[in-house]
Amino acid sequence: MKRVLVAVLAVAVLGSLALAATKIKAGFIYVGPIGDYGWTHAHDVARRIVDEKYDWLETVYVESVPEGEVETYIDLLVRQGCNVIFTTSFGFMDGTLAAAQRYPDVIFAHCSGFKRWDNMATYMADFYQVYYLNGLMAGALTKTGKIGYVAAFPIPELKRHISAFTIGVREVNPKAEVHVRWIYEWYNPAAAKEATEALIAEGCDVFAFTEDSPTVVQVAAEKRLPSFGHYSPMYDFAPDYVVSGQIVHWDKIYEDFLLKIYKGVYTTKNLAHVDYWWLLAQGAVEVGAKPGMLINPKYEAALKNYVINHPTFGKISVYDLVYIRLNQMADPGITFDPFQGPVYDRKGNLRVPEGMWMSYDALITMEWAAAGIVGPWPGEP
Amino acid sequence: MDWTSWVISTVSRALAFGVPLLWGTLGEIYAERAGVVNLGVEGMMILGAFMAFAVTQSVGSPGLGLFCAAMVGGVAALVHAFLTVTLRANQYVAGLALSMFGLGLAGLLGRGWEGKPLSSTLPYLTVPGLSRIPVLGPMLFQDQTVLTYIGLVLAVLLWILLFRTRWGVAIRSVGENPATADALGINVTLVRYLCVVFGGLLAGVGGGYLSVAYRPAWTEGMTAGMGWIVIALTIFAAWDPLQAIWGAFFFGALYHLSYRLQAFLAPELLKLMPYFFAVVVLAASGFGRARWRRRAPAALGVPYVRGER
Repeated sequence: MKRVLVAVLAVAVLGSLALAATKIKAGFIYVGPIGDYGWTHAHDVARRIVDEKYDWLETVYVESVPEGEVETYIDLLVRQGCNVIFTTSFGFMDGTLAAAQRYPDVIFAHCSGFKRWDNMATYMADFYQVYYLNGLMAGALTKTGKIGYVAAFPIPELKRHISAFTIGVREVNPKAEVHVRWIYEWYNPAAAKEATEALIAEGCDVFAFTEDSPTVVQVAAEKRLPSFGHYSPMYDFAPDYVVSGQIVHWDKIYEDFLLKIYKGVYTTKNLAHVDYWWLLAQGAVEVGAKPGMLINPKYEAALKNYVINHPTFGKISVYDLVYIRLNQMADPGITFDPFQGPVYDRKGNLRVPEGMWMSYDALITMEWAAAGIVGPWPGEP
Repeated sequence: MDWTSWVISTVSRALAFGVPLLWGTLGEIYAERAGVVNLGVEGMMILGAFMAFAVTQSVGSPGLGLFCAAMVGGVAALVHAFLTVTLRANQYVAGLALSMFGLGLAGLLGRGWEGKPLSSTLPYLTVPGLSRIPVLGPMLFQDQTVLTYIGLVLAVLLWILLFRTRWGVAIRSVGENPATADALGINVTLVRYLCVVFGGLLAGVGGGYLSVAYRPAWTEGMTAGMGWIVIALTIFAAWDPLQAIWGAFFFGALYHLSYRLQAFLAPELLKLMPYFFAVVVLAASGFGRARWRRRAPAALGVPYVRGER
């Protein structure tokens, strides 16, 4: 009995030594080109950060992989010796799951999906809190009471973002409207430009968007109108007109996940319930025109001068409100959520009752439109 | 919303969006009039877009950037001409290859240029005097670059050249019946080379417009299918430079309206609208008596070999 125990211990010690000495080779599979300055670009920036940071880590990537061909590329990366593989598009979900079942000794992580396995985790950095904070600022800055929003596809992720943004707008400006135009593409600068021009012609004077290029920021700036950046820092595209925006830090998730693999916390056996849904509190997303610049100094005065009578905080400037709300959501003991009841949709239905928050499942399957949104809403319940 | 604002924004956006389409289509019309299909427009445009951006960013002159964009488009077209005219490769395959090659090469060269705003862009003009005319002023003489007006003049000049001069006769006869043209002493190879390269020059400028004026930044794949719209517009315009004006701006207007009308109509339907019209025109062109079929150059897509029929 003793001998068995010793043997087990020896194996365990040797095993952990061997693991500590083992290098991790992580492969990244991207849906777009790394030069898109949007989604794939942000993942690749994060890959380079973790590659620099950990000397026990080697990374490789393949870009512009069609969603149906993900398994072929996983085979390729496994043959190259990758023991961790990240797939970064929703459409890679089923292919990644099939590969995870075929390669039980490789760790997989799939971004933005919901299917997991013993050796396959999921992860996502979501922006809805940040959109809400930008909505507060947008509501204070509009003069026409119309805010333009250029959106890629009518899917739950974007509906959640637009609704969170609109809830922020209405909190400081109860009569303002958010006009939405869909371009049905993640990346099409010409479509984004014409959609923005159409919104300008409708009288919108502040802009936000969810698509993968800095087009909206540039078009708004040409007309001297303020806007909010998305995904990558867009301050440099229009230093006088980018008020704030959403910035992602995928590296925070990659760092945590890879370190836990390295330390043996995550193995090929225990990932079935590992789902990163990282928000402000975990530092995976940031509000700002560029990292470290929460509000463009050119707009500080306007936001400080816009004072409202807030139901909770009384007389308060929007500038202060943004910081209070940010702290409420960024502190580990989160005390506020944009979808905190009561929340009504634009048809007048009560969607979140008083005192309730939305569950994770309700957030990721959200289809309704918050009150204040104007424009088509395909799939509206 | 009063109707004048609708008219003004629709026409103004139609012009701005139609510019790269017009330049690309005028070039493709010349190549096809000489009998060479060049499906590489997308590749030539993206190379032009990258070159214009890189040169403008380095030197600070959008004019020089556009000139270099024309050059790189011309060189890419020269490769196509060599493959299809001299080596008599299949024009469709060579053109597709050129598109893919251009997209790939521009993406590779463009590494490190993404995410940088352009330091000096091609200026938007406000034409003195004319821009003050009510309705017409904001419609036609504001928020356009010089390429809008050059494009319009160019279309007229190219129409005159094609249909009212001996050179035009030479180009058209090479596209209609190269054997006869050859017998009449026209250098078929030279005419085809010149027309294809000229098409490349214009496609390069069209691409350059995208990166130094329309949306001054470089991102991989930023032409996003415009080159293919050009191919369709060439047929839509029935290989006629003047009709290319209407085609390009009609398409531009549809494109703008597909976002403007979203408040009233289902966005999925509107998104289809420009392509729906393209299909209608292509279908109409398929009927025997339609003008389009008569006007298509008879030797389009056929390599010329002296002594073969």
